[in-house]
Amino acid sequence: MFFIPGQLIALLTFPGVIVHETAHLFFCKMFNLKVYDVCFYRFGNPAGYVIHENSENFTAQFFVSMGPFFVNTVLCMIFCTAAFLPVWELKVVDPLAYFFYWLGLSIGMHSFPSTVDLTHIWKAAPGLAKKGNVLAIVSLPLAAILVVLNYGRVIWADLGYGIVVGVLGPIALFRAMARL
Amino acid sequence: MRAMSQITCGTCSREIATSEGYELNGKVYCEPCASTALQVAKQSGQPANIVRLVDKTICARCKAYSGSLLEVGNLRLCEPCAALVQDWPYPQWLKLSLAGLCVLLVFALLHGRKYFAAGKNLYRGEQLIEKGQYPEALKYLKETLRIAPESDKGALLTAKAALLSGDIDTAANALQGHNSGRFEDATKPEFLEVKNMWDRATSSMDKLKQAATLEETDGHEVQAATLVHEAASLYPQMPQLQLIVDHFDEGAAFSRKDYDNFLRLAEKDWNTSPGGATAAGLASALACKFAVTNDPAFRKRSEEMLTKARELSASDKETTAVLSEYEGRIRYRLDSRQVITKTEYDRKFHKGKDAAK
Repeated sequence: MFFIPGQLIALLTFPGVIVHETAHLFFCKMFNLKVYDVCFYRFGNPAGYVIHENSENFTAQFFVSMGPFFVNTVLCMIFCTAAFLPVWELKVVDPLAYFFYWLGLSIGMHSFPSTVDLTHIWKAAPGLAKKGNVLAIVSLPLAAILVVLNYGRVIWADLGYGIVVGVLGPIALFRAMARL
Repeated sequence: MRAMSQITCGTCSREIATSEGYELNGKVYCEPCASTALQVAKQSGQPANIVRLVDKTICARCKAYSGSLLEVGNLRLCEPCAALVQDWPYPQWLKLSLAGLCVLLVFALLHGRKYFAAGKNLYRGEQLIEKGQYPEALKYLKETLRIAPESDKGALLTAKAALLSGDIDTAANALQGHNSGRFEDATKPEFLEVKNMWDRATSSMDKLKQAATLEETDGHEVQAATLVHEAASLYPQMPQLQLIVDHFDEGAAFSRKDYDNFLRLAEKDWNTSPGGATAAGLASALACKFAVTNDPAFRKRSEEMLTKARELSASDKETTAVLSEYEGRIRYRLDSRQVITKTEYDRKFHKGKDAAK
């Protein structure tokens, strides 16, 4: 295992940080939450942030906290899909494909919500889950997995996730397409 | 210039900005005095809840003085900050970047159409191989290699489909045309599987060549047939395999004078693959049976098969040439009721012809 400072990783994968924060902002705006400050990228820790008001609405909490996970995952898959075949399967030297693969993996690497974001969900979900809130029920295992993965960042779980989404996603997609 | 409200420290009477002051038990302090007052309060058992003062004339976000602050949630904000907080805009650079990215993505998708087609063919070919439909798979995989000749997976799957279809030439092109026969990882199971198939196929071809050479000389028919059986077991996917095996088995049966077996095999070949060559083979076997039994039915049928062989080979010059030589031997067999080998026949007739020339 080798250590690379988080700030350097964030610099190398800065599009992912920007997309992550943009997703937070997007869902804040969608649920009309007040946003006090936004940093899309900086050379520091954290590399980006969105400071917003807390909401009593669990749906808003869920999407504001987990939004980047879904948005980054989907975008990672889209960009990697555009580049997957020439890069991985066909071994075609195409700079644009490599650019898109870097972009896709960078975005995928920053999918995990921060521990602070997950804490909000983790605190609110159990009570609501007992009352039968479907989103709260779904969010509990998801948040649990993401908490574990978040801690796994020290062993490159974030990069691993990006690769899984950026490689297995397109493989599944193209295999399904080939059956059509 | 920033204007702000001020307070006077309850201990040292120094004037400071409100936002820099603290409140403890109803009195206001500057920071150094607040620290001392806190210690004193703790020692004397008084409440020690110290609170930082908020300047209600300063925007909580931009820290600028404003005569009219708006309450937004728990915060007092100036008008511009309040508007910003209520509806934070996406920065212009972000919008432009997103638009640029979308354009690039569309371009990449358009540019990558051929790769999508190649990839789809690759996966389709792979699925057809899994289903055992090798010739169909080969059609798709050849298309993939046309666009991506560097693809290890494409080359290996093409070679596999070709070898399992009995198409050694296409397999050779796929393997040797790929980076001069070099692959990224020669320890991968996919590579080893194809290499094993290729080695068996080429070894099989070598054995077939040896068998063909042996067949040309009398007395080696059994040895040649054994080699062909070995070749067939090494590479059962070889096209027309059963015909080749039967052809050599017929030769072996002929050399053992086992004309019943010769006839059985020749009949089988004719029934499964009617053509000039199989018709001539059957005519030959029937002629042998006539020679040893003198049964005119064999002779009659042999002549019918010779006629059929000529008809069926009319459009094929190569088969016609082979047949004209073969027919002479069969006719000699029918006329003389003597079964002689090709070498004996050539010695008896062609040598004389050559000498006559």
